[in-house]
This record gives sequence, structure tokens and C-alpha cells, in this order.
Amino acid sequence: MSTSKGAWFKQWRFGTICCVVAVLPAALIWHLSYLQVMPGQEKGHDFLQAQGQARTLREQKINAYRGVITDRNGELLAVSTPVVSIAVNPQVIAPNDIVRLAKALNLSAKDLTKKLQRFSNKQFMYVARQLPPHEAANATQLKIRGVIAQREYQRYYPAGEVAAHLVGFTNIDDIGQEGMELALDNHLAGAPGAQRVIKDLKGNIVKDLGVVRSASPGGDVALSIDLRLQYLAYRELKLAMSVQKAKSGSIVMLDVTTGEVLAMVNQPSYNPNDRANIKPNQTRNRAMTDVIEPGSTVKPFTVMAALETGRYTPESIINTNPGFVRVGRKTFIDPRNYGEIDLGTVIQKSSQVGISKLALDLPQNVVRTMFERLGFGQSTGTGFPGESLGVLPSRSKWHPIETATLAFGYGLTVTPLQLAQAYVTVANSGQTRPISLLKQDEIPAATQVVDAKVADQIAVMLKRVTERGGTATRAQTSAYLTAGKTGTAHKVGENGYADDKYVATFAGMAPANDPRVVTVVVINEPTSGHYYGGEAAAPVFASVTDSSLRLLNVPPNNSQHAEGVKQVARR
Amino acid sequence: MSALFLNTHSALNHADWKVRLARLDWYLLTVVLALMSFGLVMILSASIDLAAHSYKDPWFFFKRHALYLCVALVGAIMIFSLPSQAWNRLGIVFLIIGIALLVAVLIPGVGKMVNGSRRWLGVGPFSLQASEAAKFCFIVFFASFLSRRTFEFKNGWSAFFKLLVILGAFVILLLLEPDFGSSVVLCITAGAMMFIAGVPVLRFVFLALLAVVGLAFMAVASPYRWQRLVTFLDPWADQFSSGYQLVQSLIAFGRGEWFGLGLGNSLQKLFFLPEAHTDFIFSIVAEEFGLIGALVLVACFVILVWRILLLAFKAYKQEAFFASYCAMGVAMLFSAQAFINMGVASGLLPTKGLTLPFVSSGGSSLLVCTALIALVLRLGWELNDE
Repeated sequence: MSTSKGAWFKQWRFGTICCVVAVLPAALIWHLSYLQVMPGQEKGHDFLQAQGQARTLREQKINAYRGVITDRNGELLAVSTPVVSIAVNPQVIAPNDIVRLAKALNLSAKDLTKKLQRFSNKQFMYVARQLPPHEAANATQLKIRGVIAQREYQRYYPAGEVAAHLVGFTNIDDIGQEGMELALDNHLAGAPGAQRVIKDLKGNIVKDLGVVRSASPGGDVALSIDLRLQYLAYRELKLAMSVQKAKSGSIVMLDVTTGEVLAMVNQPSYNPNDRANIKPNQTRNRAMTDVIEPGSTVKPFTVMAALETGRYTPESIINTNPGFVRVGRKTFIDPRNYGEIDLGTVIQKSSQVGISKLALDLPQNVVRTMFERLGFGQSTGTGFPGESLGVLPSRSKWHPIETATLAFGYGLTVTPLQLAQAYVTVANSGQTRPISLLKQDEIPAATQVVDAKVADQIAVMLKRVTERGGTATRAQTSAYLTAGKTGTAHKVGENGYADDKYVATFAGMAPANDPRVVTVVVINEPTSGHYYGGEAAAPVFASVTDSSLRLLNVPPNNSQHAEGVKQVARR
Repeated sequence: MSALFLNTHSALNHADWKVRLARLDWYLLTVVLALMSFGLVMILSASIDLAAHSYKDPWFFFKRHALYLCVALVGAIMIFSLPSQAWNRLGIVFLIIGIALLVAVLIPGVGKMVNGSRRWLGVGPFSLQASEAAKFCFIVFFASFLSRRTFEFKNGWSAFFKLLVILGAFVILLLLEPDFGSSVVLCITAGAMMFIAGVPVLRFVFLALLAVVGLAFMAVASPYRWQRLVTFLDPWADQFSSGYQLVQSLIAFGRGEWFGLGLGNSLQKLFFLPEAHTDFIFSIVAEEFGLIGALVLVACFVILVWRILLLAFKAYKQEAFFASYCAMGVAMLFSAQAFINMGVASGLLPTKGLTLPFVSSGGSSLLVCTALIALVLRLGWELNDE
């Protein structure tokens, strides 16, 4: 080789070729180092890696645990359980794997193959959603290529149909659809977390880079309802529905001192855990979404308006002779001629004639203003989705017939909850509070909307309704003295008010001398013959109130009741 | 030049064998075997997911390449067994074979159309890339022609024009396929061989200019080549259409950094980079082994080319001109092909469909490259017999 060294230079042609050939790898090396390791290059490795990550690095959602919904005592009403959804990438899964997968999930291999063919141009298809973890494990254990397991949460409602309307439900993607699940969705949902993974071009996860952001669970919600009261209200309502063969019904129970809803049940209801066959009419929270004409249940408020004017006292006498009154072209009749009666008796007997005469004697708008102050035609402040406001008509000039009908509860609509709220004002010496479906840590400030003395006078009158001689003796309970008012409203049919369709209502409070709860019972279209509020709704009120007060540890005041009965007897 | 035939008589004694074995260029052989083994591993790594997806057999490309490798090695032994004088004498036959192959591939029905190019000849279950075989034929013929007519084309025009006509015929046939990359490689190879053979400098410069102008015109005239040129200058402008492959390849280089992601850890091979196991296997090498791995691979080719250039020079000194020109042709073919392939993958050169010798998956290329190396080994083996 040493001899050839000198010859290289003589052979310049070889030298030239060698130089040219040597330049090539040198250029390549310079270019590669620029691409791969030189720092600070505009399109160097930092840029290239970022571009690569943009094509491969993906964030996967980690579903957040949805907050639980409980009653006021912490009893579970809605709870999330971990489940697993099985999906496949139709472009990856092998035909014989489809059969294995179908077998593991107890599905028809034929159907699954067909479905996969339909989605053959997609990269994601659900096979089975929300399986219990042990069932999903049958499929994931096979480690089939292209099968994706997603951890999700399924909502379970332990109270089932009892609290279904209030609690509502979520859809399969864990998003609130109805009720409080919808109203408080943001609070309950929490924030999903993220997991960083590297995916290839076909969407397969190549590498798991770990959790970037852990899912933060949603907040819990304590509703104001007491599940025990809810259960017994539901039981009594369901019983009444079947006995009376009614179309629908609602019970609302409010806490007099806090404005919280203690129970709110409706019929018909549904099982939120199995919604395959539910009909829309089952899902309405009728106590808040449906309006009724309140009928006679608003008569105490008309009297209250009269007392507040100062022109009447409880002892004022109304002459109801001869048992009917003509207003415009209409005639209103009492069942019999009550003669000259005081205001308390007007309420006790629910006298159409008495109320009409009273209302026509009052200045215009006094009754309407009273209704408005009690919350009719306005939101109760619960924020419940789909809550109705009802209609409280507003007129510049009131015809006598309009004045009279409004006074005894026609021509306006209210929700059962609004009616209950108005009765709370009476039970609470004229003070009103915003209604709450959530458990209140502090009792909200009350507003005095009616003179306390007047409200108390009405409360006293209401006691007489359940006493002997009243329209709702069946609202009385053996243990507690109750007070309240019946209502029997004709329903509107195709040709005005229907003669044979009624809404039976009872709104009342108990114990009568120091009310703890206000309960409104609405029975819509009872068909078994007893359609009066005092017959259809009052007994339901009595049994619900009696059991509820016992559960709330309210001492019975049976003796007072007995005394009252004696007094009435002496009269 | 006493031993024209490889004799395997039982009479050979032990010392004889030692001398004979020492004559072999072990450096070259080692480098080639190393490249072959590395290629086999890289093909498996780069194709495993594609093969599993497309052929339901992760080993599909590996098995195919291994089979080709066996065939190539058997072929190499056969070629090595032939004395080089035989190739020299058969020069004109190779010219005819080469031209015939390139013409045959253009005939519809005989040549198979793949991706818009007619490059493949179906031979039973196998298919042969005509241009690869033609390269081998061209080098052998050209070396033979140059070595026998040295005086003529140094001093006269007729032989020079004959050379031009023959080269032109090959180039035009290749461009008709079209196979622009192979014609560039062939021009470089032929140019270097003529240069070494002693074509006067002015004539050579004229020829080189002609080639450059011609190829440049070809590049500009054809819309898809022009598109490739524009894309190569800024692949990021068309990163989801014409620049897609180059962008994916560049990302592979960027990921590699110094030491790479490790064997088997490439992400770009997961369907992102098309042709990851064939023309763009260098990107996967750079991604999995980093700059260091890429440099080692470049160094292997430098050693390979250097050994063959040394042989060419040694043969020239011994006035074994056929061996010298042949070796020079092979050296230039390998350096041009390897450089263009690596340059294309890393975005240094516009996109060409050229394989990386011994490393890319591709049967024809492997067979021809192995045959060329076997030829060179035989030439060197004869030469050292002083």
C-alpha cells in the first residue's frame, strides 16, 4: 500500500472521484446533524418532535364520578356505579375475533358482524354499553385486537319511582336530562380528567403516558325532601289513586318554618332505573309542571283580603239568604241555605254565596293583589326545570262575574306547589319564604306579605273546616288537630267546564295550633264516585299528615282536638 | 492472472487454502454481511405492524426478504465462481440482455404497472425490477467496452459517440418506464467509468453538461417531478398532500436525536410513514438508533465504497482495466444509490424511488447488489493473485 500512496496523486482522475465521493457522505452527515441534534434550528428536532406529537399524542377523557343526590338525612337518591362499555374499531378487529367477542358478551355473532359491516368505514363502534365490570371482563380478558374498554359511570336511583320526578335522571352519557339531575348538572357532573396516550394512525394506543389531569368528582347534593315522608306520601297517593281510579295526583308537603319541600310525589310515576317503556306523561313532576284551577282552596285568601281591608272582622256576618245569588247572568248556589253566617262559617261551609257577596263588596283588585302577594302567577324560586308559573289574570276592569269566580278559585291557575306556598304564608303568620328543593343550612329570611293578625285569624277559621260541620271532617286525624280547606274544581272540557270531571284538592296544615307542615293533596279526575275534595283528597291528607308528624316526632295534641269536638258539640 | 478458475481440487494443501482465503477482501465481505443482517432486522422492525395489518402475518416481509437473501447468496456464490474474463468476453451479450429487459418491461402485459410506473417483470411467483438487472448488465458491458476500446475513444469520436448512443438508449428506456432515479444513478455510474477510462476532460465536461441539462429538462417538463421538486423545498407547505411522506420522514429523524428511541420503538412505522420498510427505511433507522445509528450506517457504506474504489485503483495500476472500470462502476452505483436514498429520506434531495442497498426490502435490488458485490469480490480475488 505504501508504494501506491504516491501514485494516488499522479492518478488525478481517481483523486477527483474520491473527492466527489467523499463530499457526499459529508453533506449527508451535516444535514442529518442539523435535522437530529443541532439545537435552536427553525425546523430542527424540537420542531419535528412537536409535529410528531401533534400527530400521535392524544388525550383521552377520564370520566368523572358524578356527585350523589341524597335526601335531607343523607339517604341516597341517585348514585353512580362504575361500569364498563365495550367498543371496537371495525377496521381492526378480525372476523374470527368478532365471533369470540360476541360469545363473551352473549351477543349474536351474526348481528354483530352485520353491525360491524355497517360501520366498516368507521374507527369506533359501541358493542355493549354500561356492563357490570365482571361481565365486561369476559370480553377484555380475551385481549382481542381492536376492542376498546371504556370506564364509565351508570346512575342508579335507589328510591326508584318514589322520588323519580324530583330527582330526574341522566342519559347514557351521564348528562342530566330531567329533574334535579338536569337543574344541577354543572354541579353534579364534575370535571373529566385526561390521560395522555400515543396512538398510531389506526387509532390503536401504542403507549400510555399516564394521567395528565385526574378527574375531579362532581359535588354532592342534599335535597330538602325527607325520604321517609316521601315514601309514605307516595304510598298513600298510590293507594288513593287505585281506590279512586283517578287519572293522576300529586302531594306536596312543605316545612312551614323553612320553606323547604319535605315531600313531593306524583302519580303516575316511573322507574328511573328501567326507562325502556316509559311514556312522557309518566315523567312529569305534576306538582310543579301542571297547573290546576284551585277552586275553593283559595276562598280563605279572599276572606283574608277582606279582613285586611278593615271593613270586615271575623265576626262580620254575611247574609247568604236565600241560598243562591245571581251575578250577571249566572247563579251561584249553596247546597242549602246557610242563612246569616259569620266569615269563619263561610269558609267552614265553603259557601259560594258568601264568598261571592264578600268579593263583590270589596274594592276591585283587592283579591287579585292578595293572590299575587301569596305567589300565584310567579315562580316559587326552586329553579326546577319546566316549572309552571300558573296564570293570575290581570284586568283593568273587573266584571262582577270575574270578581266572583276569581274569589272562589276559577279563572286562575296554580301549581300544587304554589298553593302549598300560599298556605305556608297563612300557617306562618303572614310570612313567606322562597321554596327550596335543596336542604337549607340556614333558614332564609322571611318576608311579611300579610298582616300577622289577619293571617292568624284565617288559620283559626281553617281549623273549623276539619271540625264537625266542616266540609273536610275526614281531614282530621286521631292524634293531631289539623286545619285546611277543600277544593272541588270542575275541569275544563271541550265545551267549557265539564259536569263530570273534577279536580279534588285539599290544602291544609298540622298541627293546627302550631303548624309544622303544610300539605297539598291533588286528585285529578277521581272516577269512583267520590269527587269532592273533602271525600277524595282530605282522607289522603289525614293519613299522610298523621304519619308524617309522628315521624317528625311532633307530640300528639289529641286532647285539644277532643276538647274542640266537645266545644262544638256544646254549641 | 494465472488462476482463472476457482479450483476446488482435493489436492490443494492447507497452506494453499490459507493463501487463497487471504486474497478475499474480508473488509468488504464483512461490511456487506453486516449490512445484510442489519437490513433484515430493520425490515422486520419497520414492517411488523404493516405486515400484521395487511397480511395478518407480522413476519411476512421478513420471511420474503430472508428468502430473497438466500437466493441472492446462492447467486453470489455462483457469480464468484465464474472467472471475470468470462464477463469481459460476454460484454455485448449483457448489452443485449439489458436492452431487452428494458424494452420487455415497457410492453403492456409483460411489464407490470405499479403506482403509475411500468417497472416490474413477472417471473413466475416472483417479480423482477428490470432497471435493477439492467444496471448490472450496463456496468459489465460498459466496463468491457471501455477496456477494449480505450485507444479509440481517447483519440477519435466514433467510439465516443457509440458510448453516448448506448448510454442514451438505456437512459431513454429507463425514462419511459418512468424511472428517473435509476437513470440518474446510471448516468453518474457511466460518467465515472468514462472519466476513469480517460475520456478527454473537455469532452467529459460537455457530456456532463448535456446530462445535467437533459435531466433538468426532464424534471421541469414532467408535472409530477416538478411537484416533487417544489414539495421537497418546503414539504410543510403541503404536509397533508404531496409533502406527507417527506414530513413523516422528517419527523422520524427529529424523534431520533442522538441515540434514537431504541430498536422496535419507532412510531412513524405505525402506518404514519408510507414505504417505511422499503425506500424510507433509513428514516426508521434514524428514528430507532438516532444520529449515531445513522452515522454508523453511513460509515458502513463509506467503507464499502472505499474498499471497491481501492480495488479499482489497484486494478488500474496493474492495468487490469476491465476489473478497474467494473469496480469503479459498482462503487459509483453504490455511492450514488445510497446517497440519493438517504438524501431523499432526510429531505436533502427531491423524492426518488430508490432503494437503500442491502437494507431496504426489495428482492430485485438485493439480488443485483449482491451479484455486483460478488463480482467485485471475484475481481479482487483474481487481482491479488500476484
